[in-house]
This record gives sequence, structure tokens and C-alpha cells, in this order.
Amino acid sequence: MFKPYKLKDHICRFCKIHSLDDSAVPKALFDAEAVKPDLAGFPYPLPSKKSEYTCFVKAGNIEWFGASNGVTRYDAAAERPEDIIMYFSADRDLPDNNVKALLADGENVWVLTETGATHIEMKLISAEEKADILREESEKYVDRRGMKTQKYLTEARNLDSILPYGHSDNDGCFTATYAMGEIFRYSVYKREKGIDHPDTVLAKKYALRATEATLLLMHISGRGDGFVARTYLCADEPVPDDGLFMRRNGDKAYAVETTCSKEWGCVGAEAYCGAEMPERLTRLYRDLGYTDDDIIFKGDTSSDEISTHFLFFKFAHDLLGCDDPELDEIIISTCKRLMNHIIDNGYILKDFTGKSTTWAKWNEEYFTSEFGYVDACLNASELLMYHLVTMDITGEEGKWLESYNYLINEKHYDDYGPKHFDRLMQASISMEFDYPEDIMYGDHMLAVCSFFGLCLLEKDEARLEKYRKGFKSWRSSLAREHNPGYDLPYMISCPDHDVDVEALATWFYRTNASRLASGVSLIGRHDVAVKTQLMGNKEISVLLPPDERFISKYDRNPLYYKNEDSGGVMCVESAYVYSYAYWMGRYFGIFE
Amino acid sequence: MNNKINIISNAHLDPIWLWRWQEGCGEVLQTFRSAVDRIKEYKGMIFTCSSASYYKWVEEIDPELFEEIRKLVKKGKWVPVNGWWVQPDCNMPDAESFARQALYSQLYYYEKFGKICKTGYNVDSFGHNAMLPQLLTQGGMKCYVMMRPGMHENAEIPENLFWWDSPDGSRVLTYRIAECYCNNGKNAIDRELSDLRNRAEKSGHGMMFFFGVGNHGGGPTKGDLDYLLKLKEEGYEELEYSSPDEYFSDVCEGLLDVPVWNNEMQHHASGCYSATSMVKQLNRKAENWLASAEKWNTVVSKVSNLPAATKAFGDAWKEVCFNQFHDILCGCSIMEAYDDVRDSMGYAMHIAAKEENKAMLKLASYVDTWLDGVSDSVSCNERHHCRNLNFPRPVIVFNPLSYEVEQQVSTYHPSARVTDSDGNDVLFQNVRSSRSNDSHLDTVFNAKVPALGYATYWLWHADSEVGEFKKAESALKCDGLTVENEYIKVTFNEVTGGISSVINKADGAEILGGEACVPAVIDNSEPDTWAHNIFKFDKVLDTMKLDSIKVVENGEARIVVRTKHIYNGSYLNQDFILASGAKYLRVKCKALWQEPLTILKMPVTVSGNDPISTYEIPGGIIKRSCNGDEEPALTWGDVTADGKGIAIISDSKYSYDCTGNTLSLTLLRNSIFADHYSDRPYADFNYTDEGMNRFEYALYPHSGDVENTDIQRLASEFNNRLVAIPAGYHKGTLSQKKSFISISHKNLSLMSFKFCEDGSGDVVLRIRETDGKPVKAAIVCDLIDAGFWADFNKFEIKTFRVNDDGYVRETNFLEGIPE
Repeated sequence: MFKPYKLKDHICRFCKIHSLDDSAVPKALFDAEAVKPDLAGFPYPLPSKKSEYTCFVKAGNIEWFGASNGVTRYDAAAERPEDIIMYFSADRDLPDNNVKALLADGENVWVLTETGATHIEMKLISAEEKADILREESEKYVDRRGMKTQKYLTEARNLDSILPYGHSDNDGCFTATYAMGEIFRYSVYKREKGIDHPDTVLAKKYALRATEATLLLMHISGRGDGFVARTYLCADEPVPDDGLFMRRNGDKAYAVETTCSKEWGCVGAEAYCGAEMPERLTRLYRDLGYTDDDIIFKGDTSSDEISTHFLFFKFAHDLLGCDDPELDEIIISTCKRLMNHIIDNGYILKDFTGKSTTWAKWNEEYFTSEFGYVDACLNASELLMYHLVTMDITGEEGKWLESYNYLINEKHYDDYGPKHFDRLMQASISMEFDYPEDIMYGDHMLAVCSFFGLCLLEKDEARLEKYRKGFKSWRSSLAREHNPGYDLPYMISCPDHDVDVEALATWFYRTNASRLASGVSLIGRHDVAVKTQLMGNKEISVLLPPDERFISKYDRNPLYYKNEDSGGVMCVESAYVYSYAYWMGRYFGIFE
Repeated sequence: MNNKINIISNAHLDPIWLWRWQEGCGEVLQTFRSAVDRIKEYKGMIFTCSSASYYKWVEEIDPELFEEIRKLVKKGKWVPVNGWWVQPDCNMPDAESFARQALYSQLYYYEKFGKICKTGYNVDSFGHNAMLPQLLTQGGMKCYVMMRPGMHENAEIPENLFWWDSPDGSRVLTYRIAECYCNNGKNAIDRELSDLRNRAEKSGHGMMFFFGVGNHGGGPTKGDLDYLLKLKEEGYEELEYSSPDEYFSDVCEGLLDVPVWNNEMQHHASGCYSATSMVKQLNRKAENWLASAEKWNTVVSKVSNLPAATKAFGDAWKEVCFNQFHDILCGCSIMEAYDDVRDSMGYAMHIAAKEENKAMLKLASYVDTWLDGVSDSVSCNERHHCRNLNFPRPVIVFNPLSYEVEQQVSTYHPSARVTDSDGNDVLFQNVRSSRSNDSHLDTVFNAKVPALGYATYWLWHADSEVGEFKKAESALKCDGLTVENEYIKVTFNEVTGGISSVINKADGAEILGGEACVPAVIDNSEPDTWAHNIFKFDKVLDTMKLDSIKVVENGEARIVVRTKHIYNGSYLNQDFILASGAKYLRVKCKALWQEPLTILKMPVTVSGNDPISTYEIPGGIIKRSCNGDEEPALTWGDVTADGKGIAIISDSKYSYDCTGNTLSLTLLRNSIFADHYSDRPYADFNYTDEGMNRFEYALYPHSGDVENTDIQRLASEFNNRLVAIPAGYHKGTLSQKKSFISISHKNLSLMSFKFCEDGSGDVVLRIRETDGKPVKAAIVCDLIDAGFWADFNKFEIKTFRVNDDGYVRETNFLEGIPE
């Protein structure tokens, strides 16, 4: 289907920051003469204003320039245009931006700044090695009982200062995506190295852990009706004030006092939680000494979780379930239960309040509301995908097919998808904003899950064409990101449509080998144009390589004109951003 | 269901058509007065009016009336629409013109009314190019109102309301007026309202009802307003005074599932892209000259103390924008009006000429051209020929385009030798000059000039003793009537004077599938000036007969084959110029035309199957079927079949047809001025293209799809020639060769390099992608201390504003001024 694109070994930045009194810092750095570079007629845009450059050093074939706002690496002979000029800045790469001196170290460099020193090493590594490094980091620092989202630090840039807890509103969504990445990895290794190869065995271990953690979220509420929790905490973790939390106690769960529960007037409200949970899944916390009564789960779950879970069901069943019948049974029964929940409740996810959660609504009533009018195009497609996945992995039709046919024949849900862009533009006129300004970047992953699933599973050509149209109506929005996590499913789903594979390669090459957040210096860069949109939001005119922009999950505008990583500066994020995309590309034979 | 009928009170105002502009100006004043009075009399009435130039007239002539209008705008009773200077033709202005239409108009509206127009509005313009959604949105407009072509002319375009997408990804919500923009009188109102009611019922969304006496102005009459009031009182509740802005906002509040259109909207008046060649030629020349001159003004203001001429350029562009009004640029106004147009365009181009000359001479004065031993800074010892027999004379050649250009330039004296600034000999040739005086010879030489830059060449006068030197090598060959250079080989037919063979030397392929360049005379007696209801000009009367053919120049720099064709009392002289290093065959034409009701076309035919024609349109390109329809285009059209193609580039024409494998450039269209089925009683008519016409075109053979060739750059070079300035000898701070900008990708073109209109001193760069290929570009301009990266989607236009520190903001056509 695709001619595989060979991802070559590529340089990756490793920046180690030292204090000024660290003996590892070479003395020669302090003695290095700061020679101002002559940049007149320099042929490329420079991240700093030319007058701000204070020093330079030639390190082999590479020239390094120091400025009052960061370091520039110049490789005139770089094979890829985006590698000719690279920018290093505080806080991710440097302790501060005021560069005082540079010292060559082979083709690498030592950087002396106002408050510290950095050794910048450019290592040649493969895309797979990068995936390994990132996985190790996630498994070691980010993992929270199998969930992989983020963890907070008490000291910026210091992984040793990691807090044992740290949740995200969308733990389920991000963990499911991490799981899919590891499932793809396992499948690739199984295919290429054999099932007994140590790498395959290790890959399976990680894939299983993330899979079990994802599945557990679909049981942890103890309601037994398919309700899915956003995340869960254990008793020794602080309950954050950012939503609706239920503390389990016996066969009842009680709403914890938070701003949300107070606003909803449900503090202390109780709900049933006595349903059996698959014992295999509960081991994730029971093995750590926690009991069911230690569990505080988060409700008001959104369609983000549900959509990623359904796509996850598909790959977990196909690629992992085949080697683990017990797990497969859990996957299938969990999927059926969730699908039943959605259908039986009139196409909503019903919270303990008896009403739908805020965002998990797929019914016509929502679609005709002010918000739902635009959301309908996505949500209708999500719901159809859930049906196809359920039918696919259960091998059953019956109720699922009946509901699917009802949605299509009676409610014309398959017509909504292609209208997404139209409705968004319509809103931009009535509400007077620039269209890109109102893109919900978190929705991109939901759209990808929905249309990828639909295009993989729909057999009816006419309907498939509609789903492809639906995917294409997101293209102008998705294409802003050049994110392989979106573009690869798009290529697979819409083979007639061009995707810039070189841009995807750049993304892999230029993603850092760490998700340790600390921010970059984008504001003030001299080589990017800034655009102010109608509602005052600012973004840049060019998509910078990932290692020069802020770190985020798949939920932010990568063009935002901002320095701070989306999780703040005291955080380490999940590697799913890279591993999901990379291993999917390998699994589908797009990259090698 | 929203079944509201929005009453849009308006008055269509043609500032020039069957009258001259002075009368149009009066018509505007009277209409505006009347509209203000009606608003006062009729509660709830809202008046909608386009065209910033009309408001400016009123402001200058009747400031009291203008003040009343300002107050009404503030109250929402008067709604300016279409942030453009006029309602222009929407096929022939280039993308930069559309940018200027928006820039000067929206800033005017912003200054006078505190807001810009949100709705584009060209209700009478005859066709709408496929890039308009981008050209509108970049000017601050997300919605659009149009009417032509009507349903009877193109039923494929959706009715009523639809999304219109351009290839760059821009989109406007578009309302297509079904019947008429100037309904008036009880019968018309009844008929229109009945139709609109049905449309609202069927579509589920509201409609707009345009009424008011129009064309020669007028607006809503008391009678009509009273009648509408009566209808409402009688229970016609869906009727409401409104404006296009309000209408679009209203329909977007509700359920709106409307179709998407992603093509151009043609054809209504297919003859308008060839009628009255003079105005077309003036438009092309003025657009290019002003853009180029302003670039040099910006450069020189940064290099020296010469002031920015932003206001002068604004004044000039406003004249050009005004003359792009659809009835003017389309050549369908009265003959007398074109005397005014010539004056107005002359004024604009004189500003361009003065500023360009000032800038180039100033820049030249900074170039170090000193030669040791030269005694005088300027050695003009023999009248105007600047002759110094001991030393070569410096000539500085300027290139306004954003990529290196290699092209032949000429100077007004013969030479014995020409070298570049590094001392390398370059190809030159002494050719017959246009004068019959002095030496009768000019020098033509091959110049290679960097992007937005200059290069110095050294010319020894023909009388100099230059001694031995190694001449530059030429690839030119001439064998009878077969001529060739590095790229192409062309054979002429000595009987017909046409071209019988064109070989693309890159792959040896014969491009032609029939004889090319035998001019065809077409019957134009049936169409009116617009060619209403006629979409093909295919009734061939005859081909012109060859009178003479000869090789008139055969040198190292160029070969010229001259043909003369005749038809009745008319003739066409063509100089086919094949230059060394040129990828195209340039054709310099002189036509004395005196054949009433005829069209002159220049056909070329490619060999192969499945032909497809491609054309440049404002800000993009478009592919069209080869069905013989007359099509509008900008600087080039192309026909390609089986991977072999030939493009025709022109310096002043806008109309082509492609019938099967044959692409024809429409050279002349000799219609009666402003003729509209008047039964043509005997009169001493004047004709639109009568008399002497001088123009140029070029043939560019190629392999592969035309969008993968250099066509856009070649066409730009053809329309923006290098300019050679003889210089003196002097010391200087600038090197002999310099580029002022570097843009990493050749498919990005610098449209504009100017100072911001707000007087801040910020510099504005407007760049567009020309080949339909997305790129990430590096743009470096040391002159303004700027260097930045930018992503461009296919055919995307981006406008950047650079401050004194070299920091860059991306804005739109409005330069970030309205906040």
C-alpha cells in the first residue's frame, strides 16, 4: 500500500545543565574569548537579532553562535533544510539565555551563560532508539499504576524531584493512546523478531500494563453499567479541585467536596459501586497494597476518553488479545458493556446524577443545541465508529447493527461528518473569530480516532466515501500540525490525498528524546513572524520543529506564540506523543 | 425555519459607463443625498452602498452630506460594503491590485467610520476568479454578494447561498442574487418577492431582496418604500430592513447546510476580456510599474535619505483601482470615457516613472563605479551618447523580481565589448535602434541580475579600441528559416509565415501539432461589446496572408525573423526574437487594424491527446477544459497534451480560447464602443481596437505539466523587464552587484515591498506562492534587518510587516492597521 519511507539515524539534542561551580564544567570555558561573529550577509534567518550575537565558535564543521537570547547552531552542509539552523534556549536547553562564552567540544559545544553552563551534545540516534529512550522515561517517571499521562516535579528540570502522584483530566485518553503505541510496537517486534525475542517479550509487558490500566478505568466506578472514569486516585494522593470525584466506600461511592461538586449541589451524593471488577485489572492497585475503598475515581467523563477507548479496543483485540485470551475476553466484554451503556441511555454517557456527562453526548438533542450544532459533525462520527468497532471485535451484529442502521437510516448520522468545516466556518462568522482561532486542538485526536476507525471498518463503499469526506473536512485543521499521529491515520484512510511525508520525518527527527517540560524561549525570536487573530490570540507563521517549541500532548495548537509547556515547567509528560505515532507508522509499513 | 426577506436598499452606481466620470460623480452625490433623505423619512430603513471612491468624492465635494452619512453609519442606518475602491472587474486585476483595492478602501472606511467592511459586494461584475475567497478574506471580508453569471448562464454554480472555497483553503459565505440588484416599481417588487419567498421556503434560510433604482444611481424611491411599507402592514411579516452584514450574521445563527463551490464563477460577458485593448494594456503596465517602482522607493529610502513616497503611490494606485471598475476595464464604456482613463492611468504611471527613476539613479550613485584614470566623473564628451573611448562605461541593470533574472537589455548606443562586474565577457549585439539618427544602433546584451537587486555591466563604445578579448559563447544558430538557441529550435514556414515546428531541445520533442502563429480573423459582427450570450468566438473569416518574411538580425545575442501579414487594409508585423539563453520565443507585434467587427487571434496547436488548458488567474492558476469557450486569464495561458505543452505569455492581453489542442490568444477585438444590441443604425461608429496596436507575446514550449515549469517566473520577467541605467564614474558604498532580498524558494514571488500606510516606518512585504506547492521558506532582507521563516500553503498570499528592529508580524492586506 505504501512504499516505506526510511527514517535515517538523525542528530538529537541532549543538553546537560550544570551549575557554575560544577567541576564537570571545563575551565577553558570560563577563559574562552567572546568573539562577536560577523553575520553580515548571513544567508538564513537567525533566531536572534544579529546585533544580539556576542560570541561564536567553530566546532568541526559546525558553527555555534551565542547571543543574549540563546544559542544558534549552524550546519551549512546539513542534509535537511530545517537542520541548517537550530536554536537552543532557556529553560529547556540552557539555564538562561544570556550567553557569555562558547567552547567547542568536537562538533558539540559548552555554553557559558549568566547563571550556569550547558553541554550541548548532538547524538546520532535512530527513530527507534528515540522511542526506546522515551519509553524508558515514561515507564520510570510518568507511570502511575499503568496510567501514562504526566507527573509533577518539585524542582524544575530535576527528574529526581518527581512527585509520586499527578493525574490529568484525560488520563484515560492519553493512556489508551500510549497503550496503542506499545501494542503496535509489540506487533511489529512479533512480526520482525519473533514472539519469543526478548524485545518482543518486553514490548508485550509494557503493552499489557498500559492496556490493563486503560481497561481498569472502564470498571473502576464499580457501577457495572459500562460507565467509564476519567481517571482514579488512591487514598494517599491529594484530590485536585478540578472536577467531580467519587470516593469508593463499600458498595457506595460518595461525591467528594470540590468546587465542581459544590456548584452541582452534589457534595456527598452517593452512587452504587458494588459491581465486580475483573480481578486481573484490580491488581494494578491491589498489588501496591491499596483496597477498593482507597479508590477515588473521577466522573463527568468526556467523549475524549470514549473515542480513544473504542479505537484502543480495536487494536488491543486484534494485536494483543490474540495472544492473551483472558485479556481478550475482558476487552470484548468491556466494549460491549460500554456500547450497551451508550445505546441504552439514548446515546449519552450517564453520570451518577442520572444526566449525561458534560461532553459525552451523541444524541440529536445535543446536536440541535448551540454548542452541539458544531460538535454534531464530530460526535455523530464518533458514535458510528463505536458501533463498527463493537461489531468488529465481538463478531456480533444484532443490537449493534440495529442501532447503527437506525442512526444512519433514520437519523442520517453519516451525513454529519463532512459538514464539520462548514459549521465551524459558520460559527466563525456569527461569532466573529478567525477560523483557526477556534479550533479545539484536543478534538483533533477524537476526529482521527473516529474517522480512522470508520475508514478501517466500513465495508459499504458509499458510506466509506462519506467517512473519507468527513476526515477530509478536518484536513485543513489537522494539516496545521504535521503531526504523524494524525497524518498517518489520514494517509491510511484517504490514500488519494497527499500528505507531506518529509514533514512527518522532520517531526520524528526533531522531537526531543525526553518529555521533561521546562519551556523554551519562543517569544522574542527574531526569525518567526507573529500573527494576532481576531480575538487577540497570537500564533506564529511557521511550524517550528518540535524541539524548538513548547511541549504538549495532542491537545494544543503547536503554533501558539508562547514559551511555557502546556503542563507547566515542573512536569514530565508521557511519551505517547512519539511512540503512538512512530509505532503506528512502523506497524502500517509507512516507515521503516 | 428562517424565512426572513431582508430588504437591502441600494443604488447601483456606475461611475463610468454610458457617461464620463464627471457625470458619474454627480450621480453619486445625488444618490447619496436622496438616500440620506429617505433614511430620515422612513423609520427602520437601512441603505447599503459600496465603493470607497464614491465616499471620497462626497467627502471632498459635500462635506456636510458626508458628515450626515458618518452619523448614519454609526447608527447602523447606512452600511458601507465591499472594502474595495470600486466594484472592479474580478478577472483581470492582478492579486496585488486586489490587495490595494482592499488596503486603500478598508483603511479609508476605518479612518472615516471606525470600522472596515465585512462583506464583499460585486453585484454587477461579470465573472469571479477562483482565488477571490482568499483575496476577499485577506482584505477582511468573510462574506460575499455577487450575481453574474446568472442561472441561465451557469446553472452549476449553487443558487442563493453557498460556501465558496479557493485552492489556498480560504472560504467565503457567498450569496448569489437570483434576479436583479436594482428592483424598482410595483411589478418588479411583486415578482421578486414572490420568487424570494419560494426560495426561502425551499432553502430554509432567509433571502436578500435588493431594491433601488440603479446603474445611473437613484436608490430607493418614495413610491417603492411606501409600497413595501404597505406590504408589511398587510401582513407580509417576513420583510425586514436589513443589510448584507446583518443578513450573513443572521443566517449563520441558525441551521445552515449549504453547498460548497470550489471553482471560478464564469461566464457572463466573454467579450470583456478582449474589448478595448488600450485599457487592458494600461492596466497591466500600471500594475507592474507601480509595484516595481514602490519596491525601489522602499529600497532607496532604506539605503539613503530619500523619503518614502507612500502617499504618492497610494494616489497612483487609487487611480488604477478606479479604472479597474468593471465597465471600464472590461472595455464596454463609451469611447470618450477612455480619454479620461488614459489621462488617469498616465498620471499613475508618471508617478511610478518618477519614483522609479529617482530611486534607481540614487541607488546607482551609491555604487562604486570608479575606474582609476578616469578624469571626469561623467564622461559625456559627445552629446547624449556618453562616450568615453578610453574606458568602458558602467550601466547598472535593475531587477524588481524576487529571484535572479537573466534577460537581454538594451542601451542607446553601439558597443565593441561588454563585460560584467567580474570582468567576464557577456554576449552582446549591436542592433538597429528605433531612431534614425546618429549611429542608428543600440546595444543589446545578456544581463543576469540578482533578486530585487542590480548588477553593473561595462560597455565599451563601438568606436573604442578594445583589442583582443575572448568573446562569450553563443548557442544561437540560424539556418534559413530555422533558428535555435540552447533551449528551443523553431522553424518558420516561408509560405504562410507561421511556425511549422518547435522543438524542446531538453528532450528533443516536437511540441506542435499544427502550424502556429498564423493570425486568424474572426467574425465579431454578432456579439455586442460584452458578447452577451456568446461564449465562443469561433467563426473564422480567414487567416491573414503572408506579405513578407525575412531574417532581419542574425547575431550572437539574438536572431530576429520578421513577418508581415495582411488582411484587407490591415497588417500585422511580427518580430520573432530568439535570444541566446531565452527559454521562450519573444514576439514583438505592430498591428494596424481597421476591420470593423472583427477579432484577431493568434493560435498555437500542440500534438498529443487529452489536451488540458491552464491559465494564470489573480493569485493562482486554473485548469479548464478545451471546449472553445473564451476565457479570461492574466499573463499566460497554456495547452498541454501527453506531457508536451506550449504556453503563450502576453504583456497586455487577457483573453484566450482553447479548442481541442489549439490555444489562441485573442490579440484584438474590434467592437463598437458600448454597443448593446442597438440594431446598429448607420452611424460613423468608432471601434474599440481601431488603429495602431503595439504589444508583445511569447511562446514557451515545455515538457510536463505547466505548473511544474518556470512559466510563472518567465511570465513575470516578460512583464517586468530589467531596467538599464547608464551610470557615471564615482566612488560608492555599494558593490557593483547586490541583492536586497533572498527568498529561498523560486515559487514564492515578492508582490509588494513597501512602507506601511500608517507612517510608522515599518516595511511591508507581500509574498505569494505561485506554483501550487506548499513550502516552508526562508526570507532574508538585511536592508530591514529581517530574516524569518514562513509556511506557505499552495497559492497562499502572506503579508508581513517588519518594524525597525526587524521583528516581523504577519498581517493581511490591511497591514495590521485596523485593530
